Amino acid sequence: MLDLVWLIPALPLAGAAANLFLGRRLGKAAGWLATALVGLAFALAVGVLLDLLTLPGEERAHAVRLFGWIASGAFSVDATLRVDPLSITMTLVVTGVGALIHWYAVGYMAHDPRVERFFAELNLFVFFMLMLVLADNFLVLYLGWEGVGLCSYLLIGFWCQRPAAASAAKKAFVTTRIGDAAMLLGIVLLWIHAGSLDFDVVLGESAGGLTRGAATAISLLLLAGAVGKSAQVPLHVWLPDAMEGPTPVSALIHAATMVTAGVYLVVRAHVLFEASGVALTVVLVVGLVSALYAALASIGQWDIKRALAYSTMSQIGFMFFAAGMRFYAGAMLLLVSHAFYKALMFLTSGNVMHGLDEETDLRRMGGLRERMPVSATWFAIGALSLAGIPPLAGFFAKDHIVAFASESGREVAWVLASIGAFLSALYIARPLFLAFFGARRNPAAAHEAPWGMHGPLAVLAAGSVLAGAVLGLAAEGGLLDRFLEPVTGVVEVGHGALSGAALIAISVALAVLAVATAWWVWASGRVDWEAFPQRQPELAGWLANAFYVNALYAWLVRAPGAGVGRVLTTVDDRVIDGAVNEVAQDVGRASRLAPLVQSGFVRSYGLAFLLGAAALLLFLGMRF
Amino acid sequence: MPLDHVVFWVFAPVSVGSAIAMLLQRNAVHAALFLIVNFFTISVFYLVLGASFLFAVQIIVYAGAIMVLFLFVIMLLGVDRHESLVERLRGQRTLAIALGVAIALELFLAIRAGVGFATKAPPGFDEAVNRGGNAAALARVLFRDYFFPFEVTSILLIVAAVAVVVLASRRRRAITRAGSEAAAAGAEEAA
Amino acid sequence: MRTPISYFLIVSAMLFAIGTVGVLVRRNALIIFMSVELQLNAVNLALVAFSRMHEDLSGQVLAFFSMVVAAAEVVVGLAIIVNVYRRRQSVSVDDASVLRG
Repeated sequence: MLDLVWLIPALPLAGAAANLFLGRRLGKAAGWLATALVGLAFALAVGVLLDLLTLPGEERAHAVRLFGWIASGAFSVDATLRVDPLSITMTLVVTGVGALIHWYAVGYMAHDPRVERFFAELNLFVFFMLMLVLADNFLVLYLGWEGVGLCSYLLIGFWCQRPAAASAAKKAFVTTRIGDAAMLLGIVLLWIHAGSLDFDVVLGESAGGLTRGAATAISLLLLAGAVGKSAQVPLHVWLPDAMEGPTPVSALIHAATMVTAGVYLVVRAHVLFEASGVALTVVLVVGLVSALYAALASIGQWDIKRALAYSTMSQIGFMFFAAGMRFYAGAMLLLVSHAFYKALMFLTSGNVMHGLDEETDLRRMGGLRERMPVSATWFAIGALSLAGIPPLAGFFAKDHIVAFASESGREVAWVLASIGAFLSALYIARPLFLAFFGARRNPAAAHEAPWGMHGPLAVLAAGSVLAGAVLGLAAEGGLLDRFLEPVTGVVEVGHGALSGAALIAISVALAVLAVATAWWVWASGRVDWEAFPQRQPELAGWLANAFYVNALYAWLVRAPGAGVGRVLTTVDDRVIDGAVNEVAQDVGRASRLAPLVQSGFVRSYGLAFLLGAAALLLFLGMRF
Repeated sequence: MPLDHVVFWVFAPVSVGSAIAMLLQRNAVHAALFLIVNFFTISVFYLVLGASFLFAVQIIVYAGAIMVLFLFVIMLLGVDRHESLVERLRGQRTLAIALGVAIALELFLAIRAGVGFATKAPPGFDEAVNRGGNAAALARVLFRDYFFPFEVTSILLIVAAVAVVVLASRRRRAITRAGSEAAAAGAEEAA
Repeated sequence: MRTPISYFLIVSAMLFAIGTVGVLVRRNALIIFMSVELQLNAVNLALVAFSRMHEDLSGQVLAFFSMVVAAAEVVVGLAIIVNVYRRRQSVSVDDASVLRG
């Protein structure tokens, strides 16, 4: 079964091809075909997992060479897939959550005229994501990396007639491109210094024989790519705008999978980061800053999807934070849990939007739990899980990370992380209460989604509840931690100032306090939150506009860029075109001057003859 | 002072002077008359150079026929009006005079290089070449060595006469007659 | 004859030059024509002078032919001028500038 691992990405690729070429004829079946293929891939992944588990712990790394890809002089790279605990974990998440989201999308996108294209692109995305996580060398990983970027662009701009969507797709692509370019440089540097791109060689014990400086440079460049793809500060500006895409896209790509690719990269290449030392600290700082920044920004958002987007950014910040502390297993647990509850919340918000005729503004929702009780339940489960209320998944994942900060002696980081955790609970309870509780601000009928669409949501809800307990239970490393050990190394759990129990108590208390505060402000009706923007316009502005980072970038990049563009246009017009036009005009001028010789006066002609004759005479005279 | 010297130094200035005068005349008839004077001087030069036949022919044909023809046409067309002195083509006059000077200088240099300013003519011309007189000697050369060209020139004259009749003919017979009469007179005189 | 031959040649050259200037400077077609005749005569003079110098009558024969041809040419040329005058009512060569570019 291990050697059949190539089938896992092959199935969605086949689905993409089928939908692309036969989509019209498949009609309604397009979505079901796509879903079935991803589901089948998931089943295969489970099979591969079981096969992997039969191997003893240390040997759980199996490479499957598909074909020789590039052989050019000294540079040769094969298309090789790798099955090890880390890659299979990611594969299960991608195919599992992916299949559920495909299932949901069948119902959600049913009325769209280009539905077969949608599923083709969605399947293509799953293919590339699987190539990314199953890669055995950096080049195959980069292939998947670029591919998911492409599919993200295609899917964000799926409703391409809408200028906002097209613009958002372009912004996403360009912003991540900056990171991707840096990452490519990192890969090239890696090749130069280590002579190979294979994980076995480069990510082994000796980190491919890299010097500290080389490792730092490479790690930071790879981190730049990760920062772009995972929408961390400072390359985060594309994610909120990416919400222009259909909701299943937001759920799959911008919550569960693609944006977590950066975390996967850091965890996978952790040997390089550790060899550098500095790079790891940078990861930690980037994560923490993003977590806090995005949390604050989420509180100021009125669009439900944008609030969830910033929430994603914040959660991924926590994952980076964990990785920066070498708590890779913790990052992965959060990744898995987050996939469940974030996808759940996005899809539920899709239900809400369907019911309210595509309304996304929280100010025009409210009191929906009476009319959409099932969706309200799902959202509540997801929100509480994120908030870290035990025994839901988020509690295990997030609080492990926060506690680890204290346990590893990073007291300042622990304080900041705790603040972040408080804000997380706050910002996620806010849309829960604004949309589903409180006064009914939207007169529309708001019908509940059809039963078919609740199937995948139920599974996701179950995951949001159970994933943490199943995978993360046990203080000394849960199931997932021990499973990932061959890849991530043993987690050193130290002891900080506070005991484990105290840490848990503080976390839970903060979470409960945050939810309660959120209820009081937004649902109880006792606080006039609607008037806040008028009373505190500056603060509201800062929050709603995410601290004006977009404006800053526009000022930094767009204006000079436009200026350069204007200069170049002028050069093109005046200099280049000018030169060409000048030549043309010169020809014109010459051709206007030339006929002047033909004055029509015989005497002028005669003079010319005789001048020539005199010259000839002179010449002959000279010679003799 | 030998006679030919005197003759030369009298007629050479007249020759050049009449040529320049012809150039400067505004009235076409006056110009033609100066040219006739010039032709006369040239015929004297011919005589001095031992070409007595050409001396006669020059006067008869050139001064007597060709110039008369010119005068006919000038007066016929009534174009003896005074020509304006203003030169419309810029630099034409300057350049033309420069050119003329240049050509003259070049020719002087060529003459000096080819012939030399002091070379005198060989003395035995009359006895050696002009035996029996210049006309007889010329006839000997002309009708023996250059017979074919001579016949060709007669054809040329016939062609010229025909051409003139064709060119000058018009429906209005009054002017035609005058034109063809003048042409016929010229053709007869030349042959 | 004791005058150097070159003197005649110099006179010939000067007459030729004057004729050239006349062709270029005058506007009246007839006077231009007369200048051309002057040039021809200058050349004839040179021919005869050389004939004397080389003691060969070919020079004189050539001058003779030149006169014949000049006569024919004058005749045709004047006919053309008369024709042009009939059309244009002018013998100024400057007026015949229709073929200007």
